[in-house]
Amino acid sequence: MVTTIIAVAIPIFVVAYVLYFIRVLRGPTIPDRVLAVDALSFDLVVFLIVLSILFRSPILPAVAIVLALWTYALDIFIAKYLERKEMGE
Amino acid sequence: MYDYILITIGGFLLVVGALCDLIAAIGMNRFPNFFVRLHAATVGTIGGAFYPLIGAALIAFGSEFLGNYRWFVGGASIVAAFLVLILAPAGSHALARAAHKSKTAIVHPKVVDHLEEDGGVK
Amino acid sequence: MDLTYLLLAVVMVFALIATYLAIVERNLVRAVVYSAVQSIAFTLALYLFRAPDIALVYLPITVGIYPAAILFLIKKTEEVEQP
Repeated sequence: MVTTIIAVAIPIFVVAYVLYFIRVLRGPTIPDRVLAVDALSFDLVVFLIVLSILFRSPILPAVAIVLALWTYALDIFIAKYLERKEMGE
Repeated sequence: MYDYILITIGGFLLVVGALCDLIAAIGMNRFPNFFVRLHAATVGTIGGAFYPLIGAALIAFGSEFLGNYRWFVGGASIVAAFLVLILAPAGSHALARAAHKSKTAIVHPKVVDHLEEDGGVK
Repeated sequence: MDLTYLLLAVVMVFALIATYLAIVERNLVRAVVYSAVQSIAFTLALYLFRAPDIALVYLPITVGIYPAAILFLIKKTEEVEQP
């Protein structure tokens, strides 16, 4: 029952990642690419947790939580760089 | 009995969230400029990440084969859902502010840009 | 178990494309974004290898600190790499 649900969800996620990756390649400006990477890795958090249900191990979701946090940090670094203000000087 | 209900609700949320994520990814490719793509990104992160995470939490709570681990995975999934709910809009908002202030993202099919009229981002 | 290898193949293709583009890219900020994509793909690969501890260490360095340092450097020097 659970494996059928997850087996249905995984291909949809992989197709969505390919489309996001196309936007990362094609994005004309830098914010487009960073926005696509941001959306891509927040959806990767879901993928990690769904896989950890499939792989039956409790320690694996820790990676997903850290990924969500550091994706936000990447966004903030790029935003600070784009605004040309101080970068922590 | 409860497990079956939890798994069906969680599975429904997961699949609908995955479809929502697919729609957001298609929208991300079809929208004309950066500021319209912010909408696709928000649909992708909230509709495509928050709902499946809640669905995955329900599936984890309902899945009997995980034994005691289901509380760990479900809890981590709910924490991740809460974090995504807070971080995704904040990150894309900071990015949008920087993009508009540094003028790297042009407003191509432009009808009106009230932010520019108000003297831009302080 | 074959699902792991299938996903590993897909992830490694993503990482390969992102790495190649990061190398040939002239605009350095785009190269930083490509390297971030590549390191997220590697994090998923480490996850598929069932090594969460290494992924937990690898992720902050390559997605967090390394782009911050490189962007700090790019801010000080020029952004587009002359030939």
